[in-house]
Amino acid sequence: MANTHGSYQIKSEVVNRAKPIMLGVAVLGWVGAIIAYFSNHDQFFSAYLFGYYYWLSLSIGATFFVMIQRQTQAEWSVVVRRLAETVMTHFWVLVPLFVPILFGLHSLYEWTHTEVVAKDKLLSGKSGYLNVTFFTIRVVVFLAIWCFLSWKLYSYSVRQDTNGDPKETKRAAWLSAPGIPLLIISASFASIDLLMSLQPHWYSTMWGVYIFAGGGVSFIALLILIAVWLRSNGILDEVITVEHYHDLGKLMFAFNVFWAYVAFSQYFLIWYANMPEETSFFVNRKVGSWLGVSLLLAIGHFIGPFIILLARGTKRHPVFLPVMAAWMLFIHAVDHFWIIMPVRNPNGVAWGQIWMNIATWAAIGGTCGFFFLTRLSKHSLVPVQDPFLEESLEFENA
Amino acid sequence: MQAVANEFKIPKENPLAKPPLIEGEQSFSTLTEAVSVVVEDKTPRNWYIAFAISVLGTMMLGGMLGYLVFTGVGVWGNNQPVGWAWDITNFVFWIGIGHAGTLISAILFLFRQKWRTSINRAAEAMTLFAVACAAIYPGFHVGRIWLAYWLFPLPYNQGMWPNFRSPLEWDVFAVSTYGTVSLLFWYVGLIPDLATLRDRATTKMRQMIYGIFSLGWRGSNRHWQHYEVAYLILAGISTPLVLSVHSIVSFDFAVSKLPGWHTTIFPPYFVAGAVFSGFAMVMTLMLVARWALNLQHLITMYHLEVMNKIMLVTGSIVGYAYSMEFFMAWYSGNMYEKFTFFNRAFGPYAWAYWTMFTCNVVSPQCFWSKKLRTSIPFMFFISIVINIGMWFERFVIIATSLHRDFIPSSWGYFRPSPVDILTFAGTFGLFMTLFLLFIRFVPVIALAEVKAVLAHQQHKAHGHAKH
Amino acid sequence: MAENKIYGAIAAFKSDTEILEAARKVRLAGYSKFDCHTPFPVHHLDQAMGMKRSKLPYFIICCTIAGFTLGLLLQWWTGAVDYKLVIGGKPLFALEFATPILFEASVLLTAFGAVFGMLGLFNGLPMFYHPIFNAEISKRITDDRFLVSIEAKDPQFDATKTTEFLQSLPGAEEVQLIEA
Repeated sequence: MANTHGSYQIKSEVVNRAKPIMLGVAVLGWVGAIIAYFSNHDQFFSAYLFGYYYWLSLSIGATFFVMIQRQTQAEWSVVVRRLAETVMTHFWVLVPLFVPILFGLHSLYEWTHTEVVAKDKLLSGKSGYLNVTFFTIRVVVFLAIWCFLSWKLYSYSVRQDTNGDPKETKRAAWLSAPGIPLLIISASFASIDLLMSLQPHWYSTMWGVYIFAGGGVSFIALLILIAVWLRSNGILDEVITVEHYHDLGKLMFAFNVFWAYVAFSQYFLIWYANMPEETSFFVNRKVGSWLGVSLLLAIGHFIGPFIILLARGTKRHPVFLPVMAAWMLFIHAVDHFWIIMPVRNPNGVAWGQIWMNIATWAAIGGTCGFFFLTRLSKHSLVPVQDPFLEESLEFENA
Repeated sequence: MQAVANEFKIPKENPLAKPPLIEGEQSFSTLTEAVSVVVEDKTPRNWYIAFAISVLGTMMLGGMLGYLVFTGVGVWGNNQPVGWAWDITNFVFWIGIGHAGTLISAILFLFRQKWRTSINRAAEAMTLFAVACAAIYPGFHVGRIWLAYWLFPLPYNQGMWPNFRSPLEWDVFAVSTYGTVSLLFWYVGLIPDLATLRDRATTKMRQMIYGIFSLGWRGSNRHWQHYEVAYLILAGISTPLVLSVHSIVSFDFAVSKLPGWHTTIFPPYFVAGAVFSGFAMVMTLMLVARWALNLQHLITMYHLEVMNKIMLVTGSIVGYAYSMEFFMAWYSGNMYEKFTFFNRAFGPYAWAYWTMFTCNVVSPQCFWSKKLRTSIPFMFFISIVINIGMWFERFVIIATSLHRDFIPSSWGYFRPSPVDILTFAGTFGLFMTLFLLFIRFVPVIALAEVKAVLAHQQHKAHGHAKH
Repeated sequence: MAENKIYGAIAAFKSDTEILEAARKVRLAGYSKFDCHTPFPVHHLDQAMGMKRSKLPYFIICCTIAGFTLGLLLQWWTGAVDYKLVIGGKPLFALEFATPILFEASVLLTAFGAVFGMLGLFNGLPMFYHPIFNAEISKRITDDRFLVSIEAKDPQFDATKTTEFLQSLPGAEEVQLIEA
């Protein structure tokens, strides 16, 4: 069991191999995004919001994961916590990347069109909340909260690597207690502001929970992929065992069931009551090829993964589990595509312009990924001085 | 080696290590003794007193229900526009109480929260009794209780089938499945402990009865293997089951078009509220049981503190839902939605609304303070406050949404009849009667599971001593 | 006492660590028809005894599928075939409103499968008489003793040799032969 201190560090050749690839993805993505902006800037902004919120939701998921582990002082997850903490710090990149959305508000949100709002009784009633100034203030506040939480949690953990002070663990737990409600509230309102207000007439009290749950599933999927990537390069292969895979697999499964529960409840209650002001959201997503996307979501986000991940073997399998994790990341993109794009392309999927979504997704993802690799090589890959590390290393599923 | 195995210390290496779940110098046999003695000793006089009071309550319940059956549902205060009132409030209240039991036994099992073992048996029993109390209300509200079999898809001679499009029919399935699965889960957990009582029995009678119910359990590891798989799977399905039950209960309201009822967040909000109220009830009962049965070393301050934290979390989730509902009522721009929520907070039922809000959202916030979180009189007080608050939550949802709906000419105000009040009080009698019987005849602590925790604790202490 | 009336030999131990070691040694000594009796499920004992993973989940999943199918057929056949009645403008059958009961039916049969499959099918319970109960020490299985029993049916079983072998295990007490 005795690992030398060095083996918890990422090997520099691995980072040096991955960094140029990530940089290439980012550069290609940004080039594509710029071309997209000049070819059709309305479509570009929708695509950009898609890419942005996708990566934002993953970092929100990561922050939630870290805070839950901190607050409950979970033992099993200590070995993967540093990876989650690094994903959490993407917020620092996502702050400047929000700026383009501010320039696209007019393309994205109907409620920024004063002449439309003036004629619409419902929208003018909401203008106290849905207006550019207040919107910008809110988003800035949300980003500030997230940056603060992630910066604090990250530095407690990293500081402990050198000083070994168990008080850092206590501080992290202490911050997480108010941090969790703060994150949930800010993330709910962020999803209402950025996504729900794309269709400003429509509303659902479940919305915040729905978006939050989706971010949670895909963050676990991302964590699995990162762990697999490290292990395939011979890093942490004695630290992260099949037992941790199994647990992450179970967590992904459980979160996904929760997502499906929330998604179904939202759809089902609206379907059953059948009131026009609510059904518009789902009716719009039954038009043309959107129906196919809706069905893909039902099957690909819930039914398929549910059946496959139910088996114990899949969750412990070195190939199946990462394949399922990659699939969950893909279907999460479909979910966000399905939320955002029908507003821009109401008659069906704009197949010819999907490359814009891919470009913005790669641009923001590649930038975050590059940042992730840089961060990862600066510190130990596991919290080496964590008081619960030993338990985590010995951990085994019953 | 055995000397080491028998002592428990907080390992010195880790200053943040959690306190041991079982306090004091314990061995497997002292645990057996401590838990079995509760069932085997002479019945204390206080038990008879409590039992007599509870049975009186149950008899009152029986009387009220008999009066209702022979007279009609009109003996309750329900009338237009408030056609659902205390009956459904009480139904949701009791079902919610039950949910903490399943949560403790199933969800915490899946999360490997070993502290659950000291309280899961009692919590599961509470689930069963709460479901029994809950089922009474809709059962009798249908009026002609002797035709209750119409609720089930039985091929009787009228050639009709139940309406599966109705949320009330889903309730029938959800509640009966929930009751059945909870009973099975509870019983499976009981089998090894009943075998313990069988093996310790001193009279033929006890040996026979516990013998029959323990099914000839002989602790074979070839049995334990399947047993553990079955238990894990039961825990696995109970988790979504408990979510589904209260979600379906929330569908009773949420599938309608009534402002105040129709809101998409209802399913998870009801589940969180159920867990919240259930934990409060577990807390009330456990504090009494802990004191009366001398189980302080098994139900430690650590257990109580964790439960208080869970109440803080679920109370805050409920607060989130209240606020989200209010925000969306405004955001929707729908005048009826806006009115319902305004009326809830400032209309004739404002007293009920603010009682609910104070009890459910404000009072658990006291548990941020470690001092209050570990004060037994305070937590006992708060647990009762939360129980009251959660009853009011259901009442507020039901009565305030109904009493002023779309047409002002048909507005009204609900007042409970004495029968309403006595029936509700009577279900507490039934609940306590069943609970007292449980304490007297069944091991209140999951013995086999606590022993496994003890073994784990010993290995940990042993492992650290080795370093 | 004739050989065929013997059920087997048992030994008692005082801790879960001892039983783990004992079970491993019994298996390594080549016995196959043996069992351990413990007050609680002992971690790793399955591996020490060389047991395969339980097949119970396969049985349970069949029950789940049966429950789902029955729930589906029930709601579809009663609503859309046998007794057609439009209520509330809803379709005669739709997966949306069928979901709650589909779920409950699946869960109910899963639970039946788990409990009755485990007890009856896989463990053969209830079984009120078993030779192990003939030993006085078996009363303490449910308290604080861990027993190993080797059946006489085991090809390697030999009354004296097996007893001696059990006696040689560290911590063994109350080694005895028990009647069938």
